[in-house]
Amino acid sequence: MEGSAKKGTGTVTSLAEMFPAEDAQKAVKRVQEKVAEIQNELHRVRGFISDNSNLINLVQKLPEQLHHNIIVPFGKAAFFPGRLIHTNELMVLLGEGYYAERTSKQTVEILKRRGKVLESQVESLKAIMRDLKAETSFFDSTASEAAEGLLEITEDYVEENSTERESESGPPREDTPSFSEADKAKVSVEDEEYARIMSRLDELEKEELEAEDEKNKDDFNKLSDQKSFDTNLRYSEGYQSRELLEKTKDKKAATEEFLSKCDPQQDLNNQLNCMGLMVQSAPKDEKSHGKSLAHNVIKSSPPEKALMLPEVKENVQPVPLSRNEVPTQSSKPGFDAQKAFTGSIIERTHNTQINSSQESATSSQSPSSQPSKPVSRFKMQRR
Amino acid sequence: MSSSTVIRELQRDFEAKSNDLSKLQKDIAKNHQVRKKYTIQLGENELVLKELDILNEDANVYKLIGPVLVKQDLAEANANVRKRIEYISAELKRLDGNLQDLEEKQNSKKEAIFKLQERIQSLQAGKAKA
Repeated sequence: MEGSAKKGTGTVTSLAEMFPAEDAQKAVKRVQEKVAEIQNELHRVRGFISDNSNLINLVQKLPEQLHHNIIVPFGKAAFFPGRLIHTNELMVLLGEGYYAERTSKQTVEILKRRGKVLESQVESLKAIMRDLKAETSFFDSTASEAAEGLLEITEDYVEENSTERESESGPPREDTPSFSEADKAKVSVEDEEYARIMSRLDELEKEELEAEDEKNKDDFNKLSDQKSFDTNLRYSEGYQSRELLEKTKDKKAATEEFLSKCDPQQDLNNQLNCMGLMVQSAPKDEKSHGKSLAHNVIKSSPPEKALMLPEVKENVQPVPLSRNEVPTQSSKPGFDAQKAFTGSIIERTHNTQINSSQESATSSQSPSSQPSKPVSRFKMQRR
Repeated sequence: MSSSTVIRELQRDFEAKSNDLSKLQKDIAKNHQVRKKYTIQLGENELVLKELDILNEDANVYKLIGPVLVKQDLAEANANVRKRIEYISAELKRLDGNLQDLEEKQNSKKEAIFKLQERIQSLQAGKAKA
């Protein structure tokens, strides 16, 4: 195992070397002991709580009668019948040897406060318990992994050319996911399959790039259309407001309101556009990353390849996923995405309609509602 | 011959230091215990203080001294508890300082012992070769 690793640039250390299984198990045992301790403590506090609630019940019942017939313990073995009087007078131990004379009602209050303190203690103990349990599961998994003979593989990342350098800005050294020996055996079988997958991926990528180019053009057109539309709208508004300025002040306020409404809308649309573009570009990046890694593998020597494959597979896996997304964007359903886009525009015009109606409503509130009418008519023409 | 005497001396030194270290560790453990006790007492006293604050002015307060309950003024009891809390806090602070001191000593001792061990090992290796 180690020999094959030395041929490549990376290093392979078995997890068992870094964290011996016995040590991990010892750690597990220690944490479990701690957990048991806390469990005991929790049990104790729970006992206190139940005692406390019982006591509260008793103290509440005591003053219901003037006296109670009881059996009084006398020494260790003897009891004699007695009678409990002054049922509403209790001597309450506050702690540290301090006692206070309290009525039963006051005592219940004190006891309830104590109950609250106990509850908070239970909560904190539970929190500690949760932490410890997480720790145990972590140690446990480490121990089992070490026992299974898992390997930690560290490999230097070799940069191929400048474009790839751009895409790979992370640290050159990355911890590869460790794999078991069973996986290694499969590697040779998967090699051919892998080459096939890579060629298919390249094809698909070309297709997708073309599709994306077209789409971007489309988007741009839409965007510019919309922008001009917005600016026109605004311009017309501004123009009219200037025209109508002398007529009423109310009207001006209304247009300002409309403008302020218009602004965030445009922002929103722009944001939508940006988001669409970003969504498209993200999978592309991922792919090129995957591709560069694939290139590395193909060019590297066979033993290294065998070692690297699992890692590359990990990296490749997301690519088919994004590939699944890509057709929906670029090919037929891709128009859906664009439709969604136009949908946003439709929504927008809808909004403006609402806005204009709102505006007309606000302006109609003012006595001189006449100037508002040309505006809406003008807008109608625009549409 | 001289190297073996050096080794013997070093080993004696080593033993003495490890004894010191174990003593320090015992002290630290004791410190922890005492601190735990004081923290519990502090919590109890704070509870008492809270209850005393809630009590009415005319409430009867007693203090258990030995087998008898001695009646106490509420204000007096309050002042006593406050003083006690102050004392415990001061004590806790002192213990914290002590603990830090002890831990520093422990670390330096550990380092010294480690160095001694290394020296002994290298000397023994040299002796084995010779």
